[in-house]
Amino acid sequence: MNDATGTRDGLDDATRREFLKRLAVAGAAASFGAIGLILPESAGALATSDYDWTRHRWVYLIDTRKCIGCGACVRACRVENDVPDGMYRTWVERYHIPAGGEAAVDSPDGGAGGFLPVAGAAEPGKAFFVPKICNHCEQTPCTQVCPVGASYSTRDGVVLVDAERCIGCGYCVQACPYGSRYLDPRTHTAEKCTWCYHRLVKGRSTACVGICPTAARMIGDRENPDDPINEILATQRILVLQPELLTKPQCFYLGLDMEVR
Amino acid sequence: MRTDHPLWHAKHIVRMGLLLLLGVTVMIVVRSLLVPDTWGQYGWYRGANVEEQRDHPLQHGGDASCAGCHPEQEATHAAGAHAAVRCELCHAPVALHAKDDAYFAAMPVRRTAALCVSCHQRLAARPADFPQIRPQEHVAEMGGEYGPEACFDCHDPHAPL
Ligand code: HEC
Ligand code: HEC
Ligand code: HEC
Ligand code: HEC
Repeated sequence: MNDATGTRDGLDDATRREFLKRLAVAGAAASFGAIGLILPESAGALATSDYDWTRHRWVYLIDTRKCIGCGACVRACRVENDVPDGMYRTWVERYHIPAGGEAAVDSPDGGAGGFLPVAGAAEPGKAFFVPKICNHCEQTPCTQVCPVGASYSTRDGVVLVDAERCIGCGYCVQACPYGSRYLDPRTHTAEKCTWCYHRLVKGRSTACVGICPTAARMIGDRENPDDPINEILATQRILVLQPELLTKPQCFYLGLDMEVR
Repeated sequence: MRTDHPLWHAKHIVRMGLLLLLGVTVMIVVRSLLVPDTWGQYGWYRGANVEEQRDHPLQHGGDASCAGCHPEQEATHAAGAHAAVRCELCHAPVALHAKDDAYFAAMPVRRTAALCVSCHQRLAARPADFPQIRPQEHVAEMGGEYGPEACFDCHDPHAPL
């Protein structure tokens, strides 16, 4: 570009310099303004509620030996959380395992309507119901794959989806090894169990725990030493689903069979 | 500045720097327009969503939410074998029936054997110590006649025994 006048396009150096200077000043001003915009407001406690999420840590407990497979939890969840037909935030599976044989699992409509006797089936070696629900893992594969930060863990241990941010790509649905998520056919966004977060923060139990007629389900607060769940977790033999995946599920099971995945 | 001045060539660097600054500025401005206000308030997500999730209205109110308007059923129920079975399990969530302590819509009444059978039908998968029956056999044994409302001939759903 170094021709005789030092310019390429007829602009003299002074004009060019002036233009660039102004651009730099404008750019710097815009940068500072923008930085002001992206800085977080303040990372204090939530303003509009006397619920302090730093003082709770929710965990869930399922006693498979108590479940009668009535499906009330599935129906209650459906109404409480407006879950569309054919989708489940919690569901109940029935296992039939003949002695030395292969496990047969069924869950008609997620168990929402209860279960009928298995026609013509021989008496199984063992049979039981297993309620399933989002494990609200501590190491969440589902939130990690979200490309837009729509899914996150709250400080009190609940995994949530922000439907306003969600773009419905379905990565999280694929990433969850427990099948706990679905795409809502109405909004095309990912949805999942919230442990009825709207109830927990108001001092209520989840809909599924509240409706269970045999106390097969429990939710409790690890930060509250008087919560009976802590005694159970401390003294009973508990298990989680697929511990080999190292997702650290926060939903614990009593009386779980090794056939259950 | 003369063209043979050693700093003449530094102009490239300056221009590149300014272009870079421009690029970064555009990025920051665009980002500030796309990223929601409360992003990063608590973590890598929209902070305002936490409050939105909490605001979701309650549907189930528990037995206590029925007691005020149906004290009779509440008393019978609390003293019977179904004390552990919630009103809203057999009926429906209170939010569909009463709002702000005022009745506004009918509550379902499921006067059917199917309701009872969904819990008491004998199933291999049910815990052995849970009371279970084979409905037809049970009704016949008790000297009744089986039909869609058979159970109510002998059992009060609020206090079955
Ligand atoms: C604000 C008062 C109020 C509350 C709270 C309330 N109800 Fe009612 N309920 C009524 C009134 C009034 C009627 C009678 C409506 C009618 O006769 O048409 C009624 C009717 C019913 C019926 C129908 C009776 C029939 O024969 O059709 C059932 C069942 C019922 N309620 C159950 C419940 C349950 C279960 C709850 C708690 C989840 C509940 N109600 C909470 C006021 C209430
Ligand atoms: C096991 C299921 C079950 C439970 C639990 C239950 N109900 Fe009912 N309820 C019924 C059925 C079935 C009927 C219809 C009875 C009939 O027609 O004889 C009924 C009838 C009623 C009625 C109509 C008036 C009457 O007595 O027939 C009211 C009101 C009512 N229930 C309120 C309640 C309340 C309040 C609770 C909780 C304290 C409750 N129910 C718990 C099954 C249940
Ligand atoms: C949601 C499940 C559920 C439904 C629906 C239900 N029950 Fe029950 N029932 C129970 C539970 C739980 C118990 C208490 C069992 C226990 O004490 O171990 C019980 C107890 C009983 C008992 C006493 C059994 C005993 O030996 O103590 C009878 C009888 C009974 N129910 C009959 C009925 C009838 C009739 C209906 C239909 C109106 C019905 N149940 C609907 C869950 C249910
Ligand atoms: C003709 C009267 C009659 C009818 C109809 C009837 N029952 Fe019973 N049921 C009884 C009596 C009586 C008992 C108590 C039996 C006992 O204590 O040994 C009983 C006991 C039960 C029990 C407790 C069983 C146990 O092992 O503890 C259940 C559950 C039950 N009934 C459910 C039902 C259901 C569900 C229906 C409807 C399909 C029904 N009953 C219809 C009379 C009846």
